[in-house]
Order: sequence, then C-alpha cells, then structure tokens
Amino acid sequence: MFLFDAPVTGKRQVARGMFVIGMQAPEIAAEVRAGQFVNLGWAGGPLLRRPFSVYRAEGEHIEVVLKAVGGGTAQLLAMEVGDRISCLGPLGRGFDLSDAQRGVVLISGGLGVAPMPLAARDARAAGMLVTWVHGARTAAELCAETDGDQVVWATDDGSQGLQGTAVAAAPSGDFVLACGPNRMLAAVAERWPNAQVAVETYMGCGTGVCLGCAVPLARGGYDRACKEGPVYRAADVDWSVLPSHLPYAVSA
Amino acid sequence: MKPDLSVAIGALALRGPVVAASGTFGYGTEVPLLERRALGGMVSKGIFLRPREGTAPPRIAETPSGMLNAIGLQGPGVEALIRDYAPRWAEWDFPVLVNINGESAAEYGELAARLDGVPGVAGFEINISCPNVEQGGLYFGNDPRAAAAVTEAVRKRTKLPVWVKLTPMVSDIGVIARAVEAAGADALCAINTFVGMSIDLNSYKPRLSFRTGGLSGPAIRPLAVHLAHQAARAVRIPVIGIGGIARAEDALEFLVAGCTAVQVGTATFVNPKAIAEVHDGIGAFLEARGFASVADLPRYLPCD
Repeated sequence: MFLFDAPVTGKRQVARGMFVIGMQAPEIAAEVRAGQFVNLGWAGGPLLRRPFSVYRAEGEHIEVVLKAVGGGTAQLLAMEVGDRISCLGPLGRGFDLSDAQRGVVLISGGLGVAPMPLAARDARAAGMLVTWVHGARTAAELCAETDGDQVVWATDDGSQGLQGTAVAAAPSGDFVLACGPNRMLAAVAERWPNAQVAVETYMGCGTGVCLGCAVPLARGGYDRACKEGPVYRAADVDWSVLPSHLPYAVSA
Repeated sequence: MKPDLSVAIGALALRGPVVAASGTFGYGTEVPLLERRALGGMVSKGIFLRPREGTAPPRIAETPSGMLNAIGLQGPGVEALIRDYAPRWAEWDFPVLVNINGESAAEYGELAARLDGVPGVAGFEINISCPNVEQGGLYFGNDPRAAAAVTEAVRKRTKLPVWVKLTPMVSDIGVIARAVEAAGADALCAINTFVGMSIDLNSYKPRLSFRTGGLSGPAIRPLAVHLAHQAARAVRIPVIGIGGIARAEDALEFLVAGCTAVQVGTATFVNPKAIAEVHDGIGAFLEARGFASVADLPRYLPCD
C-alpha cells in the first residue's frame, strides 16, 4: 500500500457526465489488480477520502472514472493537469482470475464500467475470450471505451443495443464478473450465484480499521468492503440488507 | 536540544503525548503505513465480553468537516481479543489499553477481571459514552452515579491504569468527571462523539440505519476543547483530550487547555500518517518556542 501526492496527467469524457482522470502513480500502476481501488483525497475537498476503482493502469499511470454527483467529484473534475491528488492504494481484494476459463463475461451497469478495462486486460492475459455487456439508461450514457472480443450493449430506452438491463442482455457463461448498482448485482446473484461482483458502499478509512463499509453476508454478520471486498462471490452477500443505491454526495 | 515529549498519565509513562483513539485504529495490527515510533500509546477498538455483529449499513455519513458513525461496537469478543491480539501487543514498545464495554456495571468488572494480567494489556479505557448501542454506552456516561458505579466495578478488579472516556452529551461534564475520579479513575478521556443525525432527502429517512450516529472530526474540535478544559478544571487526575485533532496545532490547543495528552482518531482515516505528523509537530513547536518538555507548556487553567 502506498500513499503519495499524484499529479493529474489528463482528463477525458467517456459518456454524458462521465469522465476519466489520469494520474502519475507508478507504484500503484505496477501493483494494482482488477477490482482494487484507490482512496483519493485533495486539498479543499471533503473530509473523508473517496474510493475509486482503478479503471486503467499502464506504465506509470493509473486512471479512475467518475461522474459529478456532488461537490467533491465536481472539485476533482475541475482539476488541471499537474494538480495533485493524495492517492492511497491499491486497496481491497480484486477479481480472482486464477481459475481461468475459456471465456469471461463482464457485466457493467453505468459507472460500473470502472473495474472492467483492467478485468478485460487481465482476463486476456490469462488467455480468456472477453464478452463485455455494458448497460446504461440511454445511448449517451454508455461508456465509449467498452472493449472486448464481443461487446453487447443494453439501454433502458432501447436507444442502443438491446432494450433492457445488462443482466438480461448477458449471454450465458460460467465465469461472470460484474460491477454496477447493488440492485443490478442482486440480479446477477439470482442468475449466477458464483459470479464475482464488486459492490459499492460508503467508506471511512478504506484500510480496514473503521468498519464503516460493512457488507452484510448471507451467512450472517458483516465484513469490510475495503478489506475482504470489494469483490464478493455474488451469493455470499445478503442483498436485502446492503443499501441499494448510494449517491456519492456530501452534504458539505 | 530536542524537547522531551514524554508524559505521565498517573503511573503510566508514555513516550509521547499522542495516543491512537479507540475505534479508529482497530487492534493496531491493520493500520497501514504505521509509524510506531510516534505512538505514545493505543486504545483498542471497543470490546464486549461476547462477539457483536454491529449495526446494519449505512454506518457512516460525511457531514461538514466531520463524520457520523454508528458501527455499534462490532467486535469478536474478549476471548478472541486475548487469543488473537494481546500476544502481539505484548511485543510492542508502547502501551495498549483496551476499550471496555458492557450492558451493566458487573459486565465491565468481569471484562476487567478477565483481561487483568493478560500480557499485552497495559490498562483500560472504560467506554461509558458510546452513542451507538441500545444498552449501556452513554446511558452510563450521563448519570454520575452510574458512571461512578461502572468505574468502581472496574477499579475493584484491576490494579492496571483505568481511564474513563466521557460523553459530551451532558449538561455539566465536571459533575461526571468528579464522580469517576472519586470512584478511582486514573485519568479521564474527554470527549467521545456527539450524538448527531443527518437526513437523506431522497429517501426522507436518516442517512444512517441506526438513525443517529456519533459525530467526530474537525467539526467538533472547539466543543471538545471546551469540554476537555472543563473536565481538567474539575479534577486533579490527568485529562486526555480528544475531538477533531488532525494537526499538531489542534493537539497543542488541548494541551494548553489543561490536558496532559491527546488522542487522535478520525484524522487517521483521512491521513494514515496523522499521528506521526501531530507527534513531530508538537516536538517542533516546543523546540521553536524554547520549551524543554510537554510539561513546560503554559497551561490555561484559571482557578474558579
């Protein structure tokens, strides 16, 4: 785990309201695995750091993807190249790709694209064919950088790809990785109990000490999204207790 | 000359004035990038006799310059603490106090008796101020007789240092402070979190599933400095200041206000190096102002 001030190296738009920010963070870029996250803080920002899945990692750079949902993310999006972001990571337990199959199905809803470029990279490196199913409310909100041997689109309004949810649009597969709103992940759990899903929770420290990011388990009790997670076997989470949607906004 | 940063909390000598606060440091084994040299001591996550699941999520919500938490004292219970953590504490070069909790005075006493003499356990912090449990917690902390009864129950079962962590949710903290001093406390920790609430305007419900939570962070600092000061004026035993400390200057405010040491909590979530920075900053301040030790700092403690 590393902590340093990472300079912003670039920013680009990948969908309506969705942006990718790049940072120079060589130690994290070298170590991060798909599904792991960084906890970001910045001068003048909210009190607590904000967790972001690492979207891409290449050479000395990492990228995160975000939407402006509150004052904090708006500040991040206003940053210029060279501005510094305090970067703590890589954190959490990512996707486990050690049990390589012939093919993997990636399912992402909205901002749930976040861990998927790394997942696609690592799955390909493990010799898997990548099918990527990406869903959003409408065509303009689909991430433009979805990439795989086969790409399936789904939109709620049918403006691109299949009409309906990404889960409904997904082909059958034995090896499924998913990320998106917790309601979507609950649907994944119904269809693929063994899928690996990356959950979203509020987080305090991101490092395992505060117990703020409790994830209710099907066997009872809680563990920590930041430490045992954020990736879980879908059937291991008690989806009825996990809050279904967390707008990452701050009342400050 | 480098100033002397050591302080004495009764019979317990700390090599530095900064202690890691309960609930923000786990059991000391998982804090990343920890610089142990800067730790005067550590207070463990709160423990009960038996394991506790804690509250349902959401457990935390950020508020202006602060955070609300309702973790509900999730923990493995005292036997697991003795088995899994105390042996590691026994090897560390700073004291670890256990934050103890119960639903009755007798339970606190039982916990103290069970932990007394366990290698690695240097003392106790009695938690009579947790706002996030249905039984006990701050209900003991805002009644001087109940607070004294809990303190006495622990005092009878151990000769180790006993600190009592006070709640700010009282009309006169001096009354509680004097009651627990008379019951045998070696030091006071002032203060625990304030009870707060925040509403989600999408669901029209509280943002925490427990409805309320404990407010910590810089938002509470001036309130905490005042309450720690009031407690320090009320008693002769040392007071350890807590509440929104993130930088050395914040800690120095508590020390000048009459505290002997401080605890740093929420700041560790934001900056894993906060404790080291506060410790080093206090040293730099003392050196720059020509003070030889923490004890030489001017104290603002006018007599009533």
